[in-house]
Amino acid sequence: MASQDEIETEIALLELRLQEAKARLNALNPSSSSSSSSSSSNPNSSIPSHPSPSAFSPASSPMHFLLLLSDSALPIGSFAFSSGLESFAAHNRSAASSFSSFLPLSLSSYASSTLPFVLAAHRRPQCLAELDDQLDAAIICTVGRRASVAQGRALLSIWERSFKPTILPPSASSTSTSSSSSHQTASGSISPDALVLSDFSALLRRESTKSSAGEPPLVSAHLGPLFGVIAAVVGLSLRQTAYVFMLSHVKALVSAAVRANMFGPYQAQKMLASEHVQALINAVVEREWHTSVEEAGQSVPVMDLWVGRHELLYSRIFNS
Amino acid sequence: MTSPFPKSASLPGDGRIVVRLLPAGGSGLETISYQYPLKLISPSPTVAQKSALVFLLSYGGGLVGGDGVNLSVHIRRGSSLSLVTQGHTKIFKSATPDIVTSQKMWAQVDEEAAVCLLPDPVQPFEDSVYEQTQIFTLGKRASLCLLDWVTQGRAARGEDWTFTRWTGRNEVWTQGSDSGQMGRLLIRDNVILSQDGSKPVGLPLKDTMHKMSVLGTLILRGPVMESIGNFFMAEFAALPRIGSRDFRSKEDQEKDAEEKPEFERWRARRIAMEKQQNILWSAAQVRGCVIVKFGAATVEAGRSWIGTMLRREGSIASHFGDSALMCVEP
Repeated sequence: MASQDEIETEIALLELRLQEAKARLNALNPSSSSSSSSSSSNPNSSIPSHPSPSAFSPASSPMHFLLLLSDSALPIGSFAFSSGLESFAAHNRSAASSFSSFLPLSLSSYASSTLPFVLAAHRRPQCLAELDDQLDAAIICTVGRRASVAQGRALLSIWERSFKPTILPPSASSTSTSSSSSHQTASGSISPDALVLSDFSALLRRESTKSSAGEPPLVSAHLGPLFGVIAAVVGLSLRQTAYVFMLSHVKALVSAAVRANMFGPYQAQKMLASEHVQALINAVVEREWHTSVEEAGQSVPVMDLWVGRHELLYSRIFNS
Repeated sequence: MTSPFPKSASLPGDGRIVVRLLPAGGSGLETISYQYPLKLISPSPTVAQKSALVFLLSYGGGLVGGDGVNLSVHIRRGSSLSLVTQGHTKIFKSATPDIVTSQKMWAQVDEEAAVCLLPDPVQPFEDSVYEQTQIFTLGKRASLCLLDWVTQGRAARGEDWTFTRWTGRNEVWTQGSDSGQMGRLLIRDNVILSQDGSKPVGLPLKDTMHKMSVLGTLILRGPVMESIGNFFMAEFAALPRIGSRDFRSKEDQEKDAEEKPEFERWRARRIAMEKQQNILWSAAQVRGCVIVKFGAATVEAGRSWIGTMLRREGSIASHFGDSALMCVEP
């Protein structure tokens, strides 16, 4: 039995789909309507055009969501993972094993293997399920897969339970069609991408209940592609998305280092604020900007060994 | 029927191998053709031969800058093929970074068929630019053993990951509804090593390799590989915990070791060797495949380690014959 809420959401989604189709039709006949400019042709624009001030409520501004997604309190459980840092420290007990030597390696490795999927998902949200499956085929390390899927599923839950009611208010459908169309205009290419996420979580639920003998599930919900799509839906630019994704990785590493007693919180902030870290993030984003997902891969092979051998640690405080 | 494999044409570096089940049992070559700089040799089959054996060679034992090898392999239903090399595949330097040396292999493994590719490692020289792509399409209950490994270069000449670029991509696909068609991507193992790519990190490539001289990936799938796959998973799980301590006295340890069965003593010796030779490895079960990654401080230690593991378990030698393992003999 579907509740009234669910039906209302479905109606909202269907209306958005209709709006999107109309927008596409308008794009074909530009003379017929001026609202055609709202089509999803320009996902890269960081400053969305908003036709009326009322449509652009502060609650759904991209900047607001940028801050939410970059918050270390975002409940995707990133604090539970050290992305190989703990294992690295256990394998290299000598003086040379400092955090400052691990950070660039981890960032380079994470960027080359995962960032192309984030970028691709932001550019083409409709390919989410396919990207997720390809990433699942490419992460060949039990520990790394566990970390990616755990955080991806948590992010999907945040979208479903926390972000969606604001981005796609169930009331949008009941008020008037014009309000939902202006809402769509306010945050760029919202409508079809939000549908993609709903379809994706439905597929994920079906796959997790299905007992597949031998066949891998069609979707697993890895963090990278979901982050790309959700960032696109809430209106982050491609560049912002890539930067926040990599910065979150750095923050998770630094926070893990503080808890692993490698250095203190002031040193941690100093590192996060440093030009070095900024330059590092920009450099890896630049490096992967045009990398196709087929070319994504491991650039620091020894990282796979450290992450994979995390399971062998006698005592551990992190899940990866 | 559309085939994803390139049509056979007489282009430089092209080669084709087709293996089928012989009427009298056993596997035999239906087709073997090649063009310079690729060279394929198959010793004349013997009665005792368990799989068709083909040597992948190149004239002069290496590929010079700009060489391209395109090998297409088809292993027909129920047959088996082992592919080996004779010595490291040397990759000579490219005059400029845009001259790419490449090796591509497409292999179609039909139902119940098996392929074992255990070559010598690739040895990229200083300033070389190399791209390797190996794509396997597996039918139902088809088996694959694939080893892909790369060394630091000519250590004796001071080369230490000083090539310009090395990329290796291994893909495993299921077969689509039509024979020869690709179905679903199961595994994509991509390694990208490049001096340029290492620049953002602020370190030369060799410093990101943590004193490893050789890095390898072993991919196992299918009924023939089930036993060896389980072996790697079990041995990985049985590795000593890092950071744990043995509080027994030395005498007690020795006394306990003597009482252990032979297999456990072998394991203890191997683990001691891993520690001494700085061999790091991990094994994972991913989408119906077992994937082993390893690195070693010397090429010979790496070879000896993978050879020891494959020999000890024994199922590859018993299915494909001893010669399948010749490149990983210590």
